Amino acid sequence: MSLIQRKDELTSLERVSLTLSRKEVDRIAAVPLVCGASYRVLGTRYDKWSNDAEIATKSLLAAQELIGQDAFLLLVDLSVEAADFGQELIFPKYSTAYPDFNNQLINNTDEYNKVKKINPRETKRMKQVIDIIKGLSKAKGNEVAILGFIYGPLGVLSQMRGHKNLFTDLIRHPQEVLAAVDIITDVLVEYAKAQVEAGAHSVCIDPLYSSSTVLSKTTWEKFEGPYLKRISDAIREAGAAVSIHNCGDGVYFEEVIKWSNPIAISVAHPAHGSKNWEEHAKTWGKKVITIGYSDPATTGLNMSTDEVLEDCKNQIDLFKRNEAGFILSTGCEFPPNGNLLSAAAMVEAARRYGK
Amino acid sequence: MLVNKEEMYKKLADTVVDMDEEETVNICNQVISENLDAYEAINNGLSAGMDQAGKLFDEEEYFVPELLLCSDAMYAGLEVLKPHIKAKDEKVKQKVVIGVVEGDTHDIGKNLVKIMLETAGFDIVDLGRDVAPLTFVEKAKEEKAKLIVISTLMTTTMEGMNEVIEILNKENIRENFKVMIGGGPISQVYADKIGADGYSVNAAEAVKLAKRLALA
Repeated sequence: MSLIQRKDELTSLERVSLTLSRKEVDRIAAVPLVCGASYRVLGTRYDKWSNDAEIATKSLLAAQELIGQDAFLLLVDLSVEAADFGQELIFPKYSTAYPDFNNQLINNTDEYNKVKKINPRETKRMKQVIDIIKGLSKAKGNEVAILGFIYGPLGVLSQMRGHKNLFTDLIRHPQEVLAAVDIITDVLVEYAKAQVEAGAHSVCIDPLYSSSTVLSKTTWEKFEGPYLKRISDAIREAGAAVSIHNCGDGVYFEEVIKWSNPIAISVAHPAHGSKNWEEHAKTWGKKVITIGYSDPATTGLNMSTDEVLEDCKNQIDLFKRNEAGFILSTGCEFPPNGNLLSAAAMVEAARRYGK
Repeated sequence: MLVNKEEMYKKLADTVVDMDEEETVNICNQVISENLDAYEAINNGLSAGMDQAGKLFDEEEYFVPELLLCSDAMYAGLEVLKPHIKAKDEKVKQKVVIGVVEGDTHDIGKNLVKIMLETAGFDIVDLGRDVAPLTFVEKAKEEKAKLIVISTLMTTTMEGMNEVIEILNKENIRENFKVMIGGGPISQVYADKIGADGYSVNAAEAVKLAKRLALA
């Protein structure tokens, strides 16, 4: 318990666990997705935060002390896995790492075979994430929920091939893509197990392209569905819960649930087929816990504290009146340079309105 | 045999919709060999095909991969037809500088907007991905652009849009350009906050907005 946070009836871990089991809690859980933004709490630089497990661990712990969110999310950036497969990255001093698109690992369809099986426990970046989870688990694993993070296999491949090239390859060269996705999945299965062994209570998978703004349902299912299932099954077998994150618009809830059977889905927009959040809560609220749906940019960069409180109250009320499972969160990563007090205001809103 | 040009343009549009790059090039070559008007073939064939593809995208019949392959076919056809456009056909077009902000490599959305704007008759200068704020401004000045269109998918890089506007203000040239922004985390609220001239939720809306701003 920090000097800033107030004493609640339940620990964060208890609150999140009970919410996911649909049991009664003292208040709604609040998990603004403060990941990279934590580098500012410790006064370090983003590139150092991204490359040093110890710095990242201390930053995440300090940020949680300040904000009081009920879970850690281990989203370092979307290039963690791709880097270990051999993709060169650029590490800006004060922003998220990203692939060097002038130097993609897979330059043509003959180069999909450059994707080789690796051991995530012996790599640089995936091992760092595993080590961060170990550090968080040691420090607060009994109090705060730890959500590991894995980018979906198609997403990892897109970081190595480039998004446009990958999308056209799905139609022109499906076999080459599927062969690479298969190898990546083997690695992600091991990565998921390692995260659970390190102390993750749940592992969150991001199948980013399971969204109607990118791929059709059938295309997504063909290229990622069965692979998502393999990773999800491995997480459950290792003893942790499966959760999903996808900040895309119109996420295919039915298909994602079919292939991963998650306990919760973190989203920024209502599910595919739902016109608004009311319809979303009515349709999905009893089938799966929704984690959402504060707009991260507006919350972190625009809103006053009062506006954040009001916005969160509206979300809590909407899910409550529909008796729908809900964890208050940002729909995507909190902006690294956003106002951290707005993240704290989200937790305050859960205390005030989420009883 | 007299060629029915309307039929040929219809076939050309269909090859774009069918993502058939090879056949698109074949028909464009036929347009040239039959001495048909290249500009007309672009408008009534290639652009019409992209329009149809855009509609299929809106109706969730086509998705990003299909749209990208349609645009590949369209560009392949343009390569054949462009050198044959007669000077009188080349109207002065509004110039647009477009790119993805520094630190972000997600350019699918930007590419879709670019294609749709090009189809709508704008002259596009594509700066690509990972573009520094100053580069947007320098290029817009150099090209005498009317519009600067900026995209990002990430909350971590969206502040780069604000920097573009700050540079324009600092150089006292803000009034010379209209700035449009878009992308996953962007909203009208954010556009208002940084003083952008407009925000659009998708590529189709971006075209409408660009047309409005170009007239302003």
